[in-house]
Amino acid sequence: MRQTPDHIPGAFVETRDLAVGYEGQVLVDGIQLQVRSGQVVTLVGPNGAGKSTILKTVAGQLDALGGCVLLRGKNLCQVPVRARAQEISVMLTDRVHTELLTCADIVEMGRYPYTGRLGAPTPEDRHKVREAMGLLRVWDLRDHDFMQLSDGQRQRVLLARAVCQEPRTLILDEPTSHLDVRYQIELLSVLRHLAHDQGLGILMTLHELPLARRVSDWLVCVKEGRITLQGTPEQVFVPSVIDDLYDLVPGSYDALTGDVALPEGTGNGRGAHAQA
Amino acid sequence: MSPHRAENDVRLDSAEGAYGEGRESRALCVYAALIALLVSALAANLCVGTVGVPLDRIVPILTGRFQDEVAYQVIWNIRLPRLCAAALLGGALGLAGLLLQTLFANPIAGPYILGISNGAKLAVAVVMILVLGEERAMSSWMSLFAAFCGSLLTMMAVLAVSGRVRSASTLVIVGVMIGYVCSAATDILITFASDANIVNLHNWSLGSFSGINGGQVMLIAVVVGVGAVVTFLLSKPLGAYQLGEAYAESMGVNVRSFRISVIVISSVLASCVTAFAGPISFVGVAVPHVARRLLKTSRPHVVIPAAFLTGSVACLVCDLLARTLFAPVELTVSTVTAVFGAPVVIWVLLRRRRQVG
Repeated sequence: MRQTPDHIPGAFVETRDLAVGYEGQVLVDGIQLQVRSGQVVTLVGPNGAGKSTILKTVAGQLDALGGCVLLRGKNLCQVPVRARAQEISVMLTDRVHTELLTCADIVEMGRYPYTGRLGAPTPEDRHKVREAMGLLRVWDLRDHDFMQLSDGQRQRVLLARAVCQEPRTLILDEPTSHLDVRYQIELLSVLRHLAHDQGLGILMTLHELPLARRVSDWLVCVKEGRITLQGTPEQVFVPSVIDDLYDLVPGSYDALTGDVALPEGTGNGRGAHAQA
Repeated sequence: MSPHRAENDVRLDSAEGAYGEGRESRALCVYAALIALLVSALAANLCVGTVGVPLDRIVPILTGRFQDEVAYQVIWNIRLPRLCAAALLGGALGLAGLLLQTLFANPIAGPYILGISNGAKLAVAVVMILVLGEERAMSSWMSLFAAFCGSLLTMMAVLAVSGRVRSASTLVIVGVMIGYVCSAATDILITFASDANIVNLHNWSLGSFSGINGGQVMLIAVVVGVGAVVTFLLSKPLGAYQLGEAYAESMGVNVRSFRISVIVISSVLASCVTAFAGPISFVGVAVPHVARRLLKTSRPHVVIPAAFLTGSVACLVCDLLARTLFAPVELTVSTVTAVFGAPVVIWVLLRRRRQVG
């Protein structure tokens, strides 16, 4: 795990024996997680394992079904919503439908926990909007209608909004879906910059294993209702671990290149599925 | 600021924090136009009618001269209360539509379309006929309260359904059906009520600004005024809610209390309209779209006052048409508002389909 010496060690987000799920039905339990300053933590695992449910619970959108989430030592349910919004911001997979809102309007909403009663932005708020949009390379789109953008552009605008909220921890659900490979790499390098240079904590889910391997400081494997393993990329990206996590035929995952081999004869075999 | 960004995008520093340029001037133009329209609509409503009053007589009459003329009586006792009611209730409809469209995340929501107006109407009719009997008249407060309860109950029913259906148009169909049921129940009550007030009741149940007196106008002004101020104060969370409930919550909106405020305020506004003017169709759903299109934005603190003004102008113009088009026969105002409002709804539906599909 990389340490950033200019930040006091101490978890921004911590879960203690957390159980998550919907409507009283536990999906994953016994979750022990930590997100520290300057650290990129990635949840990996098969579809439906409950990765997004964990993110939603940590972000306070779902109630914990057991255990607790601590934000810098304070129990999440005791943190007022405005204070929580200054600690954590999110980017979700939900489709956003807006009408007649520009990209800058969307990003400016990130200033919500800082503006006054009527939400009027100060010059400083507007400066932060510009900064976040510059970082995500969407400043040129500032006066474009959000609905007229491509999916990839929308994704970057929504991430700019999350950055503009100036949280300590960013929670991102599938941030690279809808992005082509160039923007995937660019987005992940922005995330690393935010973590390693600005000291943010990042907790996210990723489907693309090679990307997860490159960007993460810490990986958490979620499968069949529990955390099967967590550790550094070197510890997790071992053929036996990945094959087991995704139920691959042993030997499908190549630890050296990060490639997943297709089983002979089956064009759309399970190997390809794991990467999708 | 960060080295990363400075490398990538040097151009940033030339365009110092500027976005949304030219929006203020557009908003100013739209507001100036709306106020001009409002003033002309008010003047037209004062002058035009079976007793024509020349424009240059209006100001002296309003400042208390020509007290012994017929025109004075017509202006003060009939036209002034009626146009005040139309302007205030039209604005209330615009705001109620805006609130409901945000709450349901549905561009075709409105108090009439979701059946809320008819629910309020049914509650007023029940109280009027069953509870009060035939002897006593109903006070304004009582009909307002009955309408509020009716609105709230209908809104709860629609909200319960909206939890189950994902499609915006299905929700609207359900709302329309709820509205029909309430309207049918009201008709049954009216049919079996043997009362001299029945003619009034019948006119009111179709939607009309006639017969509103000065005292009622004061009450309307207070209720709508409070509703409008509270709506404006909600503009910040209303803006965040446009990204959806999950994002709003993550930004620090207290979703539960916000939803309750929106439900209560939109019920108050919609029920005030129904209690005094009956259910008025399509203004609530169409007006917010017109206001947003004019301003080319949906940021609530800009749109809310414009939606109020647009609603006022719409109701004043429609009421003028309703009473002058086939004078001395008077149309119900809902007939006129439907002619203008329904095409707007169709346009919104078609646009939306094109965008999604």
